[in-house]
Amino acid sequence: MASRMAGDAMLELSELSKHFDGIRAVDGLSLEVERGEVFGLIGPNGSGKSTTVNLVCGVFPATSGRVLLEGKDLGGLPPHRRLNAGISRTFQNIRLFGELTVWQNLWIARRDAPGEEAGFMRNWFGSSARIREAIEETLVFAGLAGRANDLARNLAFGEQRRLELARAVSARPQLILLDEPAAGMNREEVEDLKQRILALKGSGITVLLVEHVMELVMGVTDRVAVLNFGKLIALGAPGEIQGNMAVREAYLGSPDAEAA
Amino acid sequence: MGIDFIDVAQAIIDGLLFGSTYALIGLGFTLIFGAMHKLNMAYAASAIAGAYVGLAAIALSGLPPVLAFFLGPVASGVIGLAVYITCFRYMPASNMLAPLMASIGALFFIDEIIIHATAGSPLAFPAVMDDVYFELGEYGFRGDLIFVLVTSLVAMLVLLYVLFGTRLGLATRAVSQQVVAAELCGIASHRTNATTFVLTGVLGGLAGCMAAAAVGVISPLLTVPITVKGLIVTVIGGLGSIPGAIIAGFAVGGFENLFLLVFGVNQRDIYVFLLLFVFLVFRPNGLLGKAIKRD
Repeated sequence: MASRMAGDAMLELSELSKHFDGIRAVDGLSLEVERGEVFGLIGPNGSGKSTTVNLVCGVFPATSGRVLLEGKDLGGLPPHRRLNAGISRTFQNIRLFGELTVWQNLWIARRDAPGEEAGFMRNWFGSSARIREAIEETLVFAGLAGRANDLARNLAFGEQRRLELARAVSARPQLILLDEPAAGMNREEVEDLKQRILALKGSGITVLLVEHVMELVMGVTDRVAVLNFGKLIALGAPGEIQGNMAVREAYLGSPDAEAA
Repeated sequence: MGIDFIDVAQAIIDGLLFGSTYALIGLGFTLIFGAMHKLNMAYAASAIAGAYVGLAAIALSGLPPVLAFFLGPVASGVIGLAVYITCFRYMPASNMLAPLMASIGALFFIDEIIIHATAGSPLAFPAVMDDVYFELGEYGFRGDLIFVLVTSLVAMLVLLYVLFGTRLGLATRAVSQQVVAAELCGIASHRTNATTFVLTGVLGGLAGCMAAAAVGVISPLLTVPITVKGLIVTVIGGLGSIPGAIIAGFAVGGFENLFLLVFGVNQRDIYVFLLLFVFLVFRPNGLLGKAIKRD
């Protein structure tokens, strides 16, 4: 685990709240995700995990509180600007561009590195050899090299999950948000995913992982935060969290938790 | 009444050639519907208005008449952008009725401007290649209609290339498929929607110029019939279907001219509407339309 340094947070949530018609989906949440770590966010259904992800990537505005990326307040930044700020994500319910090919899905999300930006015409009407090479690399990373020209909607479920991940990687994020990426996966696929997440970490990308599959959370994260009713109830190394009483109560003793 | 096979075939040929303008208008409706799941009722009016601007530009500047076919579409693209900003951009995404009514308002607003500017009287529109006439066996091909067809086909090919071969086109299609995911892929959906309005505006301006050139005059009386024909083409082709709009445009053009030959000008549109009615009853999703779905 990386040693803590002041001001080294990749993502900082400060007193973040989101209320939907009086329901406090996220309720005064404060936490920091450090640069380069894999940070797990767990909690029962309706505990506010997905809402937190949506607040970070700007799908809807926060009721109050702040989201800071590398110390910069993302404030009212619209979603399409947050990608350029360095945030990309996957979706729990797969949201691929079904009528586009696998290759085109990655091309759409592709961002140039700072200082390498292509001009307007090149960006919208051309594609450079460098970009094609980078997309090929991402395809290999996701195990989709043979399916580049298939329409996304024709992929098998497991492949669609991998394309979701590849599309988020294609954006060259500093911070990647994975919203239940292991949902519906078998043991072998979860193991593959684990290796891919560790590879992302190895390349310096910070990962915020929202997940129910404990095998994955315990296997890849450096730290885990536990949410219940929109509040942080525990934070620590995965081993500590596993033995934490409050966490057990959250999972076992809250039959009337609101639906996700 | 003696209508022989040659007459029928000739009417269908002329209709198919003219139908390429319907295909362009239908494409405009269908692309905007595909992008936003909304109808832009001012679309055909901006197409005609663009043709007027093209006509005015060559009349005032003394430029060669063929430039009207360039200036008209450019003007229609600008008008398309104005319609987007005033009738669509700031309307709540969930409100289907507000942009529909706003664009109907824009249709009549544009219409009124044209009527006031021209005192309501039709103006002559320059024809291109109207002195050319091909004969192939017993069939004749009007040069001006060949021009209409070739220009439309080129415009369609350019459009298809932009939509399917460039990142700009992929971005507009991505927004129509998954707007939230597209935004989070860095695509500003308002900008791709504006792009769609400009592109379709240019297409419509081309169609407006060519329809006016084929008829020989341009008149504010054209806007509502072309709007209606465009909607018929879009529904028959299948809302949101690009190949559907192209096929339906040619088909409606062909049938229309056939009805004109058989039933005369007074009854022609009755049968076009009947065709629409048949589709609405037996094939409500159109020729190539999918059942409309959105998450």
